[in-house]
Amino acid sequence: MTVGDVAEVLPDAPKQEVLPTTGQPVGGGGFRSHLGSLLFLLPGIIWLAIIVVYPFIATIVRSLFDSSGTNFIGFDNYKAIFSTTDIIVALKNNVVWVVVFPFLVTFFGLVFAVLTERIRWSTAFKTIVFMPLVFSATAAGLTWASIFFIDPHTGMVNASIQAVSNKINPPGLYPIDASAGQSVSSLVATDVETGPSGTLQSKSTVNPGSTVQMGLIGISPTTLQQNGAAPAAAPTASSGSVNGLVWRDFSPSHPTTRGQVYPDEQGIPGLHLSLLGANGSVAAATTTAADGSFSFANAGGGPFRVQIDANNFQPGFNGIFFLGTQSLTPTSSLSPTAQAILSLPIVDIAMIIAYLWIWAGFAMVVIGAGLAALNREVLEAAQIDGATEWQTLRRVTVPMLAPVLVVVFVTMLINVLKIFDIIVNMAAPSSQSGASTIALQMYDYFGSDTGKGLAAALAVALFVLVVPAMLLNLKRIRG
Amino acid sequence: MSGVVLDDLTKRYDGGALAVNKLNLDIKDGEFVCLVGPSGCGKTTALRMIAGLEDITSGEVRIGDRVVNNLPPRDRDIAMVFQSYALYPHMSVRDNMAFGLQLRKTPKADIDKAVVDAARILDLERFLDRKPGQLSGGQRQRVALGRAIVRDPAVFLMDEPLSNLDAKLRVQTRAEIARMHTRLEATMIYVTHDQVEAMTMGDRIAVINEGVLQQAGSPKELYELPQNRFVAGFIGSPSMNFVEVKVDVSGGTVKLSEEGVELIPDDVQSALLRDSGLEKVIVGFRPEHLIAGVPPGPGLRITAAIDVIEFLGNDQLIHGITEGHDIVAIVNADTELSVGESVVLSTEPRRLHLFNPTTGERIAKAA
Amino acid sequence: MSAVRAASLPATSTPRKRRVRLRPSRIVVNVVLAAIAIFWLVPAIGLAIISLRPESAFDQSGWWTVLTAPAQLTFSNYQALFAQGFKPGGVLDSLTTSLAITIPVTILVTVISSLSAYSLVFGRWRGRTLVFLLIVAMLVLPLQMALIPVASLYSAIGSATGFKLFGSVIGTIIFHVAFGLPFGIFLMRNFYTGIPHDLLEAGRIDGAGEWTLFRRVVLPLGLPAAASLAIFQFIWVWNDLLVSLIFLTGNTHQTLTLFLYGQTRFLASNYWIIATGGMISIVIPLIVFFAFQRFFVRGVLAGAVK
Repeated sequence: MTVGDVAEVLPDAPKQEVLPTTGQPVGGGGFRSHLGSLLFLLPGIIWLAIIVVYPFIATIVRSLFDSSGTNFIGFDNYKAIFSTTDIIVALKNNVVWVVVFPFLVTFFGLVFAVLTERIRWSTAFKTIVFMPLVFSATAAGLTWASIFFIDPHTGMVNASIQAVSNKINPPGLYPIDASAGQSVSSLVATDVETGPSGTLQSKSTVNPGSTVQMGLIGISPTTLQQNGAAPAAAPTASSGSVNGLVWRDFSPSHPTTRGQVYPDEQGIPGLHLSLLGANGSVAAATTTAADGSFSFANAGGGPFRVQIDANNFQPGFNGIFFLGTQSLTPTSSLSPTAQAILSLPIVDIAMIIAYLWIWAGFAMVVIGAGLAALNREVLEAAQIDGATEWQTLRRVTVPMLAPVLVVVFVTMLINVLKIFDIIVNMAAPSSQSGASTIALQMYDYFGSDTGKGLAAALAVALFVLVVPAMLLNLKRIRG
Repeated sequence: MSGVVLDDLTKRYDGGALAVNKLNLDIKDGEFVCLVGPSGCGKTTALRMIAGLEDITSGEVRIGDRVVNNLPPRDRDIAMVFQSYALYPHMSVRDNMAFGLQLRKTPKADIDKAVVDAARILDLERFLDRKPGQLSGGQRQRVALGRAIVRDPAVFLMDEPLSNLDAKLRVQTRAEIARMHTRLEATMIYVTHDQVEAMTMGDRIAVINEGVLQQAGSPKELYELPQNRFVAGFIGSPSMNFVEVKVDVSGGTVKLSEEGVELIPDDVQSALLRDSGLEKVIVGFRPEHLIAGVPPGPGLRITAAIDVIEFLGNDQLIHGITEGHDIVAIVNADTELSVGESVVLSTEPRRLHLFNPTTGERIAKAA
Repeated sequence: MSAVRAASLPATSTPRKRRVRLRPSRIVVNVVLAAIAIFWLVPAIGLAIISLRPESAFDQSGWWTVLTAPAQLTFSNYQALFAQGFKPGGVLDSLTTSLAITIPVTILVTVISSLSAYSLVFGRWRGRTLVFLLIVAMLVLPLQMALIPVASLYSAIGSATGFKLFGSVIGTIIFHVAFGLPFGIFLMRNFYTGIPHDLLEAGRIDGAGEWTLFRRVVLPLGLPAAASLAIFQFIWVWNDLLVSLIFLTGNTHQTLTLFLYGQTRFLASNYWIIATGGMISIVIPLIVFFAFQRFFVRGVLAGAVK
């Protein structure tokens, strides 16, 4: 087409000289072209106006009304924010997230970005660490919920702790569950009393050639069966030895009688016993057999006491409730409001770890890009100036990365202010209110019949919190 | 201050490419040596090996008495000025210059004095508290120089420091560096692709091509006695003319003839040509040594048709064509010449350089 | 005279080696990063293995026991879920619902963003900068600010016209598009500013109208950015929970994230459903990610503001 053709097609376009093209638009171009490009903007603008801009204003207005939307109540909703315990807890959690997460994720992103520069398989590493971004926070939350399960059989973290704990403090065959109210003394039945350091001892003394019978209760038949218990029998004496029986002194047929060995009573196998001399020193050791009988052969002079060792009752590790709201700060003696503000629910830490798993890759990639864009010669100049690798990193590389670090930090800050998905999917149902955040509260009140105004106020509060980041972005674009 | 010795310095990359091939160079204490050559010739690689920024494949680098091959840059007592200045963008000019000394735990008073002294030399005193981003290109380069001066190193290394400056600044900064050299009496190794820079600044110049040292010597030596065709064509602007001619030793005298080109060598040259036994030889002659007209005696005569005349003020630059060769000549502007005209250009035998066509080596008496 | 060494000295063949002090730290770095990589893979691997174990096995022992007893791996969980077919609320139906929402949103956001960005960069009307700054401001706007009024709007439209928007797929799509536009326009606009105006001026002089210029010049040149946007938007919407939680309630169909969220009540007892459903939910994003990794990363880099 030539200029002449254009003039025929668009009779209202002013005739133009063909000027050499510059960066500036030539002439007015005619009404048509203005209209054309403005038209392009229309769908987007209309969409945004209806679904974003109008609602934005409407929400602010709505926050000044009560739940039904008809009564104007001014700032009452906002006052409610700071006086409702649940919301205070949510605010506290937001603070925890904001203080801990952006810093950690930026830190790890930086560390990973710097370290991956030194390996050959950096692409593979970056892919692995970046991949969780592809997971929904829902799927990730559910995955990490299972990792933090309280049962050491199924939850990875507790299983690991248990493996270590069992090595250091192996559980006994008959562990005491203190949380269920058990104690060593509750096992006492016949001719047994509690001894020092969690042991049990025979009440009566015994000399070689005689026997002793020690009865215990409060031990479950299932445990006995697991340990291979056999029916108990009264012990026989033999000269020079101290013999005896440790048995479960409970007969289903004679439930209230103690002290007598019935045929339907079971011995307690596998108990570690010590023979205590007069001064309490250990003269010998043995273990009860399947029927609960034991024998200290060649015991030497008496009198002795038989001790049931403490390690028999050593409790195993039962798992930490990571997904609960147990506070890591000592707040149990404080008032409810103080507790709301100062407690640090353990589930927050678990969720932060899960969220780091998702987002550290993002930080790493962005910071890595910034790192790659650095002028290599500046780093070489530092080398020549005398800096070691660590000094170069600390005094040249990281300061030069400051803008990128800020971008990552701020992005994650905004992300975390609105945090929702991971909490509803990972915190245990009983912990939901203790782990709540503003976004969650807004959702709850949104769905309630009496809190719609409050929900609007919470939304506005959320907006107010991100305004600094908004201004930062605008400044960056403008400047 | 120390001298620098490069001993069979070689750099081979994975894959076998030889960037620097057995470079031998003996730089004296206090000398200003330029490494010059076309892009990719290995001069920067050689400089970076001296600095310790590149690993050395084989050969040695000695600074002073020490072999520095395995020393990291910071233990080599060097300072480097980069093409992109490489200033620390987040530090003030003062801190940029002080950084090296701070790392060495120099007492603050000494650091301040050194920085202020360097700033005075380079006229940077007003900028000490500004950041590099607030400075112009020329000012930044001066800061880079200041950073090097403050370190008081044994050797200054410079990697094309003027390439990013505009023409006027380049001339100014060139003079500053020369002044710096005189004032500090420092050993300086200067890399550039611009042979004019090399010729004006260097005590000695090392011409490098494809990783191999072509010739090292004073500017005068390189200009008057280039040892091979590459050096002859690289040094001097506009570059030397080359014409390949047939050697005819029949009849007792040597006549070189090519259409449009007639060469009558003098006695020394004749003897060399006869001894060399070559059938063809490359003759080189500089544009500025051609005159219009034919004085008597041996020498070169070229008849050329004038293609383009460029007026240079005092001189005029003639592009001429003779039987397939492009000839460039610089003659006095007073000579009346016009395009299309045929002109005879000539030069004396002492202005001629003879080169072996296959090896490119200068045909000369064995030294 | 010339100080060039004429004869080469006996070759002092200094063996080429890396500075020794770096070597120990290089090993340490490799080991540390390998440990980190393994740590990072474990949750996903765990989820995969859980989904491949029989449902009864979950309570009894941890998935890591599979390492010593690999024979227990089975596809029975997947079979069970697929056997439900496309019944509403089941995994397969949720998959299609997610697709039914994500694909239209991605297309709409990419197209509208490109058009809008064209107008903002190449249009010749006043106020472009102001509009762009408004868009930048909207980048961080929490969608909570729009939930209540839009929900009311949907209900109002529903009762006025009988066209149910609240609790519908279309209503969800509309909302998602609106909140995808600021980022989309931002990304495309930034890319388009790199296209020289001269290209369009030449076209205008040749007589091309704005639509032709957009279609034939800008859109093809902007394809890489559009691809990055599409992929980023796809994964973002696919993984969303809150919007579908609010705008899809009451619908017999759910998105995959809703499906998974609905199982949290049964976390301990029905974890096999969560694990299997979880694996199914990440298959498509993973494919998209690996196939278009470069674009995705570029989108992430550009959008370090979302």
